[in-house]
Amino acid sequence: MSSISKYFSGLFTGIKSLLVGMSVTWKELWTKKVTQQYPENRDTLVISDRFRAELTMPHDENNEHACTACGICEMNCPNGTITVNFKMVETEDGKKKKVLDTYKWDLGMCTFCNLCVLTCPSDAIKFENTFENAVFTRDKLKQQLNHEGSKMREKKKVERPAAPVAKAPVVSEVKVETPAAEVKPAVVDTEVKAVVPEVEVKPTVVDAEVKVELPIEEAVKADKEIEAESKDETTEK
Amino acid sequence: MQEPLEISNLTTWLDTTLRGIMPSMWVILIECVLVGVALLAAYAVIALILIYAERKITAFFQARYGPNRVGKYGILQSVADMIKILLKEIVKINRVDRFLFFAAPFFMIVASMLTFGAIPFGKGLHAVDFNIGVLYVTAVSSLGIIGVLLAGWSSNNKYSMIGAMRSGAQFVSYELSAGFALMTIVVLAGTMQFSTMIEGQRYCWNLFNGHISSMIAFVLYLISGHAETNRGPFDIPEAESELTAGYHTEYSGLQFGFYYLAEYLNMFIIASIATTVFLGGYMPIQVHGWEGFNQVMTFIPTYVWFFGKTAVLIFLSLWVRWSFPRLRIDQLLNLEWKYLLPINLVNIVVMVIIVLSGLTLTDLFPSLF
Amino acid sequence: MEKIKELILSTVSDAVIEQKQKLTVTVEPNKLHSLAQALRDNATLPFDFLVYLIGMDRGEELGVNYLLASSTDLSKEIVLKTNTADRENPLLYSIADLFETAQFNEREVYALMGIRFINNPDMRKFFLNGDWVGYPLRKDYDANPELNPLSVESKEIIDIAPRIMETPEGLIEETVRIFNDDDYIINIGPQHPSTHGVMHFRTSLDGEIVKKIDVHSGYIHRGIEKMSESMMYPQILHLTDRLDYLSANINRHGLCMCVEKASQIEVPERAQYIRTIMDELNRIDSHLLAWACQTNDLGAITAFIYGMREREIILDIFEKTCGGRLIINQNVIGGVMFDIYADFQKDVKAFIPYMREKLVEYDRFFSHNVIALGRMVTIGVMTKEAAINYGVTGPAGRGSGWSCDIRKHIPYALYDKVDFKEVIRTEGDSYARYLNRLDEIEQSLHIIEQLIDNIPAGDIVAKVKPIIRVPEGEYYQRVEACRGEFGVFIESRGDKFPYRLKFRSPSMALVSAMPLICQNEKISDFIGIGGSMDYVIPDIDR
Repeated sequence: MSSISKYFSGLFTGIKSLLVGMSVTWKELWTKKVTQQYPENRDTLVISDRFRAELTMPHDENNEHACTACGICEMNCPNGTITVNFKMVETEDGKKKKVLDTYKWDLGMCTFCNLCVLTCPSDAIKFENTFENAVFTRDKLKQQLNHEGSKMREKKKVERPAAPVAKAPVVSEVKVETPAAEVKPAVVDTEVKAVVPEVEVKPTVVDAEVKVELPIEEAVKADKEIEAESKDETTEK
Repeated sequence: MQEPLEISNLTTWLDTTLRGIMPSMWVILIECVLVGVALLAAYAVIALILIYAERKITAFFQARYGPNRVGKYGILQSVADMIKILLKEIVKINRVDRFLFFAAPFFMIVASMLTFGAIPFGKGLHAVDFNIGVLYVTAVSSLGIIGVLLAGWSSNNKYSMIGAMRSGAQFVSYELSAGFALMTIVVLAGTMQFSTMIEGQRYCWNLFNGHISSMIAFVLYLISGHAETNRGPFDIPEAESELTAGYHTEYSGLQFGFYYLAEYLNMFIIASIATTVFLGGYMPIQVHGWEGFNQVMTFIPTYVWFFGKTAVLIFLSLWVRWSFPRLRIDQLLNLEWKYLLPINLVNIVVMVIIVLSGLTLTDLFPSLF
Repeated sequence: MEKIKELILSTVSDAVIEQKQKLTVTVEPNKLHSLAQALRDNATLPFDFLVYLIGMDRGEELGVNYLLASSTDLSKEIVLKTNTADRENPLLYSIADLFETAQFNEREVYALMGIRFINNPDMRKFFLNGDWVGYPLRKDYDANPELNPLSVESKEIIDIAPRIMETPEGLIEETVRIFNDDDYIINIGPQHPSTHGVMHFRTSLDGEIVKKIDVHSGYIHRGIEKMSESMMYPQILHLTDRLDYLSANINRHGLCMCVEKASQIEVPERAQYIRTIMDELNRIDSHLLAWACQTNDLGAITAFIYGMREREIILDIFEKTCGGRLIINQNVIGGVMFDIYADFQKDVKAFIPYMREKLVEYDRFFSHNVIALGRMVTIGVMTKEAAINYGVTGPAGRGSGWSCDIRKHIPYALYDKVDFKEVIRTEGDSYARYLNRLDEIEQSLHIIEQLIDNIPAGDIVAKVKPIIRVPEGEYYQRVEACRGEFGVFIESRGDKFPYRLKFRSPSMALVSAMPLICQNEKISDFIGIGGSMDYVIPDIDR
């Protein structure tokens, strides 16, 4: 008897479960559809500001960028995506100075880990959310980020001793939130202290930290010897 | 009765004109060719519409839009797909049984086309009106399995082989249920001829006429018919998450197109047989005594009624397909042999009792019908 | 633990016991097996869970590290070490008869480190072809591409396994055949829609019934452990996201924590909150995908789309937080890379009730469907003993009744401060694993609810030196990833690069249990069980 009742109860609970399932799909038949209508929705499509699609080097209206060609980004890149080519030029006061020649970036190799932007001491590069990067050949993925004829933005702080730079990192603060280009010269002029409060507020403390170790001059001098600097840093502290 | 929109008007006119100008042997020949061409065209067009409809409805069940790029609302999508499939290369597979491999898709398509020919699409839109229509349909539609088995066997692919074997087991089992469900109605209607059967349902569909028993038979037929078409949740022969594409894994281009076409047409055929047998076929909804209402209903052409009813059943089939997970082979056979078949056998006995003891609706309330 | 020390010394009198990060015991190769057996079988605190098995190139010597934990209390750990000086033909004793999970791991060690294990019944190379020249993880490995040229020829799969067995007459080398001549073998994978990646199961069938499964892995092996040995720690981070890409954030959390603990970096409170919330969102994301894929494997394609639809909302939150959707790239050593965005709390709080509503819908749609029940209940049963023996953790292990949630046993981040339930079912079948995932989504929502309004202000990242040097030593950090216990092992020699880095992959344990639980099931259920185990192949093919 029990097997017979089991047979029928199984049959009916089974049918009921199927009907419940069908009621769910029936309801879904009338719900809002979620498909994104790309490219029709290009105008309304919101891509997060933090989305990393393309590495760029912001240039200001004078065609000037902030890259000192220190090569820290190149060193930090896990995939060898970045190639910084520099040339040595002689400044007016007869000193030799490293100047950016070409800044090459290969989108096809990049894993968008953001290490280059995080570690850049002068905030010269940033990731943009322009995601439509499809091209027809692999060569086109290799880009030169510095514009033709561009040069480095002049910093007016001259000859500071390398040691007491603890508050130097101003530059970095601007990075994540707003494009650095316009803000920076002013900041540098008005002595560093003014900007210090920002350090706590802004999220990029990591950058600040890195920058403490590697103020621009020092980085230039030290060339690619990151390690030496980190030792300096530890002794300072 | 005035039925200005019926296609039978056209066919009758054509017939009389032809007979007026040539001997009757030629007329029959020409009409045979015309009917054949019309059926083939309908076959292809219905398949295209079904493919589009399925993709669209599926998408709506799944919170998507479905095809919407080719033409307005993607309406030309299946035409584009058809052109693509026609142009595609037929890939040569190493070490297949070449003859069987090429023959298999034809079995499939021929079987479904033979069944297709026997369906009454509307008043007078009936290629052949056999007096054993139901039997013929049941017999011919089961030929398709040969195509599936041959495909699986000849493909030299283990996935295809497993798919074909599953299909064999499934088809043999469910053919029984489908047949018994139809027989239940044959008992009720007292005929196997589709036209008589439809005429008998003028005021009361078979679905209601045999009440309990008919309804059970209807559900059983829908389930087993659905299973016969190898569509989800009974799609174990091609179960894409297990067997990639089952028996037609190795087919490409037009050969695959044949299977694709046949699958959709089989779905249509099952729905249209159910319409004819249970839902009054092309017969408009008529109520005994309401002459004005009947007049209005009759004004709608019979083929619209037929396709409308069929469309509802097809929608039901899609709804089921996209709601359930796939059965396993033993669940599938359990369902058939432990549930459907015993219920069917009991049901047919019940139907005999109902008919013999005059318990059908038409017998109980003769004034209404 | 004193008792355990006594036990060790009474079993192997010349064992060297040191208290490092974990209790470490060094023994001679021939004593290891008996020691492991004694530890596994002791009554007071059985060490029956082999967490990792790592082949080590210690410079002069080759060796293996084993981490044993107790299945009743995962925080009780013992590291066993053994070494061999023979670099030409290194031989150690297998413990595969004690811990099934050692089977694959020993084969991996053979492929990558060249150590062969006596008494292992199947000593083929895992990940690599049998004819690969050299052992990549050895320090003296010659990576010259001419030695192992890229071949586009298809290779015949050889079902013959070499092995070394110990007999009374001494060691003998022999071969065994994996399959018989008349087995009906089909290849499920490497290109198959339901292996969830590039996995290859050689499956012998009897009709529809699975008789035996032979796992071939390594089709997408990328040598991440080898790459890591030449990368600085922050650089390695971005590789962890590419292991089990569905629990990217949690994997990364593990590596960050390992380095942070080793170099004593204090992570700010705010970062801990963000990490925990992101981890749990990541878990929901992964479980949703697992649910979706499992239903898809069972043939319910509509359910698949529903799962993906809900997951999209989490991905959007991820994208707004850190710019990544799948590869989240959020944790850095000392904290997190990006602070939460302005509407983060609002978005997450809107998501929680929505997800709860959807969980009810999933339940109605699939959990009680008679077909689905038939495909899951009592299918693919794994006992608790088997789960422990195979090292199967995560929702699958808990589905077998094993309490193995690292978040409960060894709390990290904020898990000791929040209230949540460890979801355990004892049936051990596909259905238990399936329900466990849905319940864990609910628990994760509960955790997020407790944290989301209380995120403290403050730094999001601690002050970290630009060049991170981990002090000399061996470190292991365990986290609860979406598929079970994920672990990061670092051996540092005080350099800015790790000397040896190894990830414990939860998916590998899941796959290693597949041959056991799929035996005598139908081929359709093999796919369904695979879906319920929910392995991710890049996690195995590190």
